[in-house]
Amino acid sequence: MLRNKTYNRRKLLVILAVVLLILAMLAGRLVYLMVFCSEYYGQKAEDLHERERDIKAARGKIIDATGTVLATNRTVCTISVIHSQIEEPEEVIRVLAKELEMEEETVRKRVEKVSSIERVKSNVDKEAGDRIRNYGLAGVKVDEDYKRYYPYGTLASKVLGFTGGDNQGIVGLEVMYEDYLKGKNGKILTLTDARGIEIENAGERRQEPIDGYNLHVSLDYNIQMYCEQAAKKAMEAKSADGVSVIVMNPSNGEIMAMVNVPEFDLNQPFTLIERDKKIEQDEQSPETEQKAEEKQDLLNQMWRNPCINDTYEPGSVFKIITTASAFEEGVVSLKDQFFCPGYKMVEDRRIHCHKRTGHGSEDFTQGIMNSCNPVFIELGLRLGVDNVYKYFEQFGLLDRTGIDLPGEASTIMHNKKNVGPVELATISFGQSFQITPIQLATTVSSLVNGGNRVTPHFGVSVKDDQGELIETLSYDIEEGIVGEETSQVLRTVLEKVVSEGSGKRAFIEGFSIGGKTATSQTLPRSANKYISSFLGFAPAEDPQVLALVIINNPQGIYYGGTIAAPVVKEIFSNILPYLGIEKDETAIKKEAEDSEN
Amino acid sequence: MGRGQKADKRQKNIRYFDYSLLLVVFFLICFGLVMLYSTSSYNGQVKFGDSAYYLKKQLVADILGIIAMAVVARIDYRIWKNFWLIAYIAALGLCVLVLFKGEEINGAKRWLDLGFVSFQPSELAKLAIIVFLATIISQMPRQLGKFSVLVKVMVMIMPMVVVVAAENLSTAIIIMGIAISLVFVASPKYMQFIVMGVIVIAFGALFIAMASYRAERILIWLNPEKYEKGYQTLQGLYAIGSGGLFGKGLGCSMQKLGFVPEAQNDMIFSIICEELGLFGAISVILLFVIVLWRFMVIASNAQDLYGALLVSGALAHISIQVILNIAVVTNTIPNTGISLPFISYGGTSVMFLLAEIGLVLSVSRGIQLEQE
Repeated sequence: MLRNKTYNRRKLLVILAVVLLILAMLAGRLVYLMVFCSEYYGQKAEDLHERERDIKAARGKIIDATGTVLATNRTVCTISVIHSQIEEPEEVIRVLAKELEMEEETVRKRVEKVSSIERVKSNVDKEAGDRIRNYGLAGVKVDEDYKRYYPYGTLASKVLGFTGGDNQGIVGLEVMYEDYLKGKNGKILTLTDARGIEIENAGERRQEPIDGYNLHVSLDYNIQMYCEQAAKKAMEAKSADGVSVIVMNPSNGEIMAMVNVPEFDLNQPFTLIERDKKIEQDEQSPETEQKAEEKQDLLNQMWRNPCINDTYEPGSVFKIITTASAFEEGVVSLKDQFFCPGYKMVEDRRIHCHKRTGHGSEDFTQGIMNSCNPVFIELGLRLGVDNVYKYFEQFGLLDRTGIDLPGEASTIMHNKKNVGPVELATISFGQSFQITPIQLATTVSSLVNGGNRVTPHFGVSVKDDQGELIETLSYDIEEGIVGEETSQVLRTVLEKVVSEGSGKRAFIEGFSIGGKTATSQTLPRSANKYISSFLGFAPAEDPQVLALVIINNPQGIYYGGTIAAPVVKEIFSNILPYLGIEKDETAIKKEAEDSEN
Repeated sequence: MGRGQKADKRQKNIRYFDYSLLLVVFFLICFGLVMLYSTSSYNGQVKFGDSAYYLKKQLVADILGIIAMAVVARIDYRIWKNFWLIAYIAALGLCVLVLFKGEEINGAKRWLDLGFVSFQPSELAKLAIIVFLATIISQMPRQLGKFSVLVKVMVMIMPMVVVVAAENLSTAIIIMGIAISLVFVASPKYMQFIVMGVIVIAFGALFIAMASYRAERILIWLNPEKYEKGYQTLQGLYAIGSGGLFGKGLGCSMQKLGFVPEAQNDMIFSIICEELGLFGAISVILLFVIVLWRFMVIASNAQDLYGALLVSGALAHISIQVILNIAVVTNTIPNTGISLPFISYGGTSVMFLLAEIGLVLSVSRGIQLEQE
């Protein structure tokens, strides 16, 4: 019998030591997996086990200054089928095809597909959803959901914007205030086994949805309506491509109306407006891809807000700003005398006045009333390039306004190096550079309000659905961009423009209104297309409302004083009483005296 | 008759029996049944409509195994010396038979259908190889220092390894491991084993490189999240990771609900981790360490080299299986099917394991408390 030797024992000990070492390493591996990777794997496992069902949060409303709801939610239904629970497939197909107005083939495909849950149609009207629910068909699920709804359809379409399939903002205020409006979706979490069967008694975790906050905007439904009607009327009368109107409070930058006709229907943002439809049908391109691309371009065009997204040459309205610069710099006074022979020579170029025969001898006040180009060329030359640029910067013309809408365009201005006397001359009466309409309205507001550069905006406050204030939105105001005297001069001369000068078609008896007309030719000049505009504010002594009307490519007469000023007059005669701006008795009296004399 | 009297006398004189080992093994068996019920009740319900389906089958195997253990423990282990050749040939024969007549389950022919019960010959092969090698080696310890003898021993077990490897690579690896451990314990040398180790590793690498599906397993091992076939490994990791320090509590595993496929088999350790946490998992490892330590004590004090080698073989067998199983479950090595001794579901496995424990206990009965 062979004995068990010492070396056998030692060898066995070696084996056991190796085994223990490996086991210790595996224990270490377990520590690594179960302590340091625990969260990672635990989360992955949980994601695997949990079935998530969203409870949609209601998106916040957009409410105007009068308390009118401009954007709200409507309950819609999503119809789905659960394959394993369907008892009478033929009946289900028949009912769904009928109620959802879908092809039977399409419905059949969805119903017969073997999947845990198959969506048949979403965004179904609540009535149809209720009808389907009332059939009580096994395996058919009707889930309620919210869809954005705009009660006034086209009203302020390019300002409000609309939402996409997941109720997320796509353009306009909807996207700008997405974080306030969207809320937070809730969830129902249930545990399932590998076959997807929910485990009984495991309980479900519920995360309640948090509804979005309501956005209160300065837009006024009534003013917006007036403006939209006036703009439509002007567009039709002049067969214009489009008419834009901005109505704002010059003292704080609140925008009361922003109209861009033609507007589109916010409830059907992917349907082209009539005019574009024709274009789409006319062009018979065989390739559908190209066609889709074209349609997308047209849609993007339709959604654009020209007041903010597009720039134009402001033309004579810009003379307000040249005037402000000149007075601020002290290179002109109201009494200065000018002579207009109908043109002015700058270097070797002859720049015409709009009145070819000339305005003759005139003082500055008469110059601006006549909108006389040579007067402003003279002002520009007196200022010089450096000063013109200094005031561009000081007035905030080189920056964006900071309006709370997406996609604001920048000012397109000459490179300072390239500005010679000719360019300087054209700049001083508003040509050869481009700014956005909102930039023009904001800058003039700031000049006539006493010199405070305001930030134009719509958003005023954010409240929850109970009306509890969440946040008051505040905007920067830069004080003293011009002195009070300059501001006073502007208000006085611009009042004269309307009461006696080129803007007299905007005059309303009993109100003191300041304003300036403009007619600018668009590029290329050879196309002979014009933009007529008029900017007015009232009361002239203490501006509380400022309106800018821009008529794009009017047919026939295109002078701003002739066609744009009456639009402002129409708007003002409606909204001044509405805003509680009283007729000025002294003005009426003075008027009466004048006519007596 | 005379021999019987002698044996009786010896028993009276010594009266040693390793109750500690017996206790730990019983504990492992019971713990295994609890965990098995926890992991398999879902699968049993889904597949057979009886949540206790797997538990019942395993319980029967455990009882049969305990009976076998009790019987073997009472028989003098030296008797098995006479059966070494029969054991080897019988096991080899059954392993060959299974290649032709085997019942295919999960794509592998590993079971022989005996009418009333399925039987896995490879489990028998492990026990047979322990008895076979212990007998041979204990008869020629002096020659074992020679490399040629070493090679001779390896050549002798090769037929068995090859036959088993044809259908069940993991078991072949275990058999190889047992053989190498036994030769190592018996031989006075170290160096040749290091050389042999290098050869085995080189051979293994070549083996893997030659078959693309094995190379794929390596890729899955390195990055289980990227491969569809890494599903099982990944699900195991999810289970282990979600256990944390103290686990979700007995019966509260989510991964056993069909996410870890056949959770009661090779992957049962991952569910132990999930339900009992790091604490429970390390406790299980410690239980196995106690078993191995008792084996060590018994082998060191065994009356003769034959007994010592029998116990060493069992020690090698159980440690290799525990290590490989935990390593696979934790994705420390590429996936290969090895069950966790006493705990994983599998009747044949647990019956032969218990018989093996019986053998070890029988050796322990021969220990003389007072050394001469």
